Amino acid sequence: MENKLDYVGQRIPRKDGPVKVTGRAKYTVDVQLPGMLVGRILRSPHPHAKILNIDVSRAERLKGVKAIITSDDTIGVKHAFVDTPRYPADEPPIAKDRVLFVGEAVAAVAATDADVAEEALSLIKVDYEPLPAVFDVEEAMQPGAPEVHTSHPKVKEPLSNIAGKTESGWGDIKTGFAQADYVREDRFESHLRTHGYLEPQATVASYEPGGKLNVLTSSQGPFFKRAKLAQTLGLPFSRVRVHKAYVGGGFGGKIDLFYHEFCAALLSMKTGRPVKIEASREEIFTAYRHGEPLIIEIKTGVKNDGTLVAQQFRVINKSGAYRGTGVVVIFLAWGFIIGAYRVPNFKYEGYAVYTNNPPRTAQRGHGCPQMRFAVESQLDMIAEKLGIDPLEIRLKNARQAGEILPNGDNVYNCGLTECIEKAAEHTEFKKKYGQARSASPSMGSIRRGIGIGVSAYITGSLIYPNSSSTVIKMNDDGTVTLLTGALDIGQGAETILCQIVAEELKLPMEDIEVIAADTETTPVDIGSWISGNAFVTGNAVRVAGTEVREKLLSIAAEELEASLEDLVLKDKCVYVAGSPSHKLTYQQLVSLSIQKRDGDPIIGEGHWRTVRGEPYHPSLATTKGRWSDSYAFGAQVAEVEVDIETGQARLIRAVTAHDCGFPINPTLVEGQMDGQVSMALGHAFMEEVLMKEGRTLNPSWLDYRMPTIHNTAKSEVIDVITERYEIGRPYRTKEVGEGYVSGILAAIANAVYDAVGVRLYTTPFTPEKILQGLGKLK
Amino acid sequence: MKQIIELSVNGESSEFAVEPQETLLEALRDRMGLTGTKEGCGTGECGSCTVLIGGKPILSCLTLAVECHKRDIVTIEGIGDGNDLSPVQQAFVDCGAIQCGFCTSGMVLSSEVLLKENPNPQEKDIYKALEGNLCRCTGYNKIIEAVHKASEQMVTEQE
Repeated sequence: MENKLDYVGQRIPRKDGPVKVTGRAKYTVDVQLPGMLVGRILRSPHPHAKILNIDVSRAERLKGVKAIITSDDTIGVKHAFVDTPRYPADEPPIAKDRVLFVGEAVAAVAATDADVAEEALSLIKVDYEPLPAVFDVEEAMQPGAPEVHTSHPKVKEPLSNIAGKTESGWGDIKTGFAQADYVREDRFESHLRTHGYLEPQATVASYEPGGKLNVLTSSQGPFFKRAKLAQTLGLPFSRVRVHKAYVGGGFGGKIDLFYHEFCAALLSMKTGRPVKIEASREEIFTAYRHGEPLIIEIKTGVKNDGTLVAQQFRVINKSGAYRGTGVVVIFLAWGFIIGAYRVPNFKYEGYAVYTNNPPRTAQRGHGCPQMRFAVESQLDMIAEKLGIDPLEIRLKNARQAGEILPNGDNVYNCGLTECIEKAAEHTEFKKKYGQARSASPSMGSIRRGIGIGVSAYITGSLIYPNSSSTVIKMNDDGTVTLLTGALDIGQGAETILCQIVAEELKLPMEDIEVIAADTETTPVDIGSWISGNAFVTGNAVRVAGTEVREKLLSIAAEELEASLEDLVLKDKCVYVAGSPSHKLTYQQLVSLSIQKRDGDPIIGEGHWRTVRGEPYHPSLATTKGRWSDSYAFGAQVAEVEVDIETGQARLIRAVTAHDCGFPINPTLVEGQMDGQVSMALGHAFMEEVLMKEGRTLNPSWLDYRMPTIHNTAKSEVIDVITERYEIGRPYRTKEVGEGYVSGILAAIANAVYDAVGVRLYTTPFTPEKILQGLGKLK
Repeated sequence: MKQIIELSVNGESSEFAVEPQETLLEALRDRMGLTGTKEGCGTGECGSCTVLIGGKPILSCLTLAVECHKRDIVTIEGIGDGNDLSPVQQAFVDCGAIQCGFCTSGMVLSSEVLLKENPNPQEKDIYKALEGNLCRCTGYNKIIEAVHKASEQMVTEQE
């Protein structure tokens, strides 16, 4: 069969563009149901306190209050992102006996309107006894520190508040360092940032007579939410239906089960009426989950030619009051080391540590930007010491196609070397690097610098629900309907999945209807949070499309008395090659299938899973087990301008050379890159959630500065295509949505150094730090 | 005490009894069901709630409904003509200037005003016109491209 691609690989406008640009797309916050109540949450004002008593009697008497819930109304089942024998769930859905952070839910109210609900909150009397609290992660680790939770029983070191530990290694670290010509140790630290999704967190829950809970919630995947809601509410999975509304961004911040989701559901069960809870932006800043800052200590040994021989890491995750994804990010931070460079002798220790700060969660790249910032900054320092250039040291150590990683994963068609070469060539890196340091005073106060960073990122992994499955059904008129559990959170999931259907069936995009993200009517999907949509769900769609195509062809071959290999799909018809009038339309073929295939209206089914043959996700504690089927690689170059008088730095230009395998939709790929460059420059220069004793000091976008249009950096994208899409064949298209927020952060740090000779060990790169580095500020 | 006000929204006038503290955003979304206007922060920082009053972009979350008595208001639902997208809307779709879509209504309305007042904007004019609208997904690059494209399209149409 010919492999001319008409849909996949094309710049097809996103399918949901018209509804979004006309304001017709309904997000969770837009949903109004008859008789709907408004819910609000009473949150702890203390970072750590005993709850002595909760008196709701006055609030209950307020006209318009329909229900109030506290932990007494729950079934007492805890939940968490990770819930395993080693790391059992530790979060009550509403605080019981003790609050561990400012913002923890203590009670919730459903009332006829928002004003009544808020007044009711003020009438609930909670007696607290404040307890000693701890906020600094290294203080929290000290023996005798205030105990947020007992240290994990399997961690034998005399440390407090350890939520979990990841240990990994290979080779012989001592021998490795003994072989090294140069060894250096550095410490890097990242800071707290928020996701900044524009759509606030919101849930509409409606418990219906007969015992069915319907939930619309702004999320990154309905199946994970269903599981957590069912477990905490004591309902069978089949009694909870979580379905799609449009989602106004997630970036990792809408994965976990949140108080507003649990409370809206329970309040609806109590009242028998729909309940909506919307978080205010201030609430999101103060009580919701931000990203996970890491402390990263690296010791690296190299030969004089730049070959890495040994590397040792100690990583501390500044977790909050519950384990959350704390034990995931210390595993992931390890994983985001192994893909880029070969290191023969390696040792890694990662700690997740409880504090009385709000719990933290995944944030785009989940540990990768922090880790790449550290590794790539140190690599530049090593290169400078050895007198080799930043490109050479990276090329020397970069993984090559077909290499097997220490965990058994194969990097297959790795394009990292080509990415580094192309990014450097495109930016004239060699010519520009080092120029600013010999700048003449006539240049004024602006110095320009260039830097590079690389990353490697997984393409889906085995976290519940582990698999994606899809159904494609043909309709009587020859069009199709795709049923997928995938949730489009803005990245364009529905569009690329339709492109794959369109390609497999040679069917125009407008003839494909999508029913998506509904736990009741669509098959299971891994969700939009593990960078596996294009690979895992995409392949599931491809398999379903193949089945439909084969059914169409089989009937057509019979009816047209032609052999299968002579048939061609085009314009919703099956033709005999070279004889265009000898054809049957899809509409006719559906009808013939029903007649001659025992009523089959032509339905295709597909499912896919990453790392087939592995039963589970690798161990979070030991990293043993395979992790992902496919890795995306990238090299990113940043050009910055730094004002040596004011210390102000800004990103002027970002070039991303990426190996995402095969771009299914180049426009959407560029959109992901541009967005990640913007997020990284916010990370580098602008954004920081400031906290003092567990309280957020800047809970608004006036005081937490996200990039505006004035901060736009020129973003250029270079495709390094290492994979082909062939109709009917599996592909290893790779992720594009997370890894590229990482190399660019490192590139910015290295570019600032190139510009002014100031090495930055902590994010963000503020004017103050740059002036200190220049010796202009004490 | 509620007040009766007359609002002309997208060319249709209606009377409403509104609370004195009610914002235009609340009136549009909760009373009229015009949910294309979004609330991202409620405090005038993100621009998602942008609507036009008398052809000028304003933040409906900071505007009281009673202030809008007898004013001409245009929301995203009033842009384009039925099923036909305006050149700005079409350019946003074609250029990939939309991802999650939550900022899109405000972005489109701010761009519409810019191109009406300045059919041939320079980059700096686009920056100025869209400086009050936050977008977290796109990094703004494709939004800028879309405004340029809409401008070219509108100039071509007029010729």
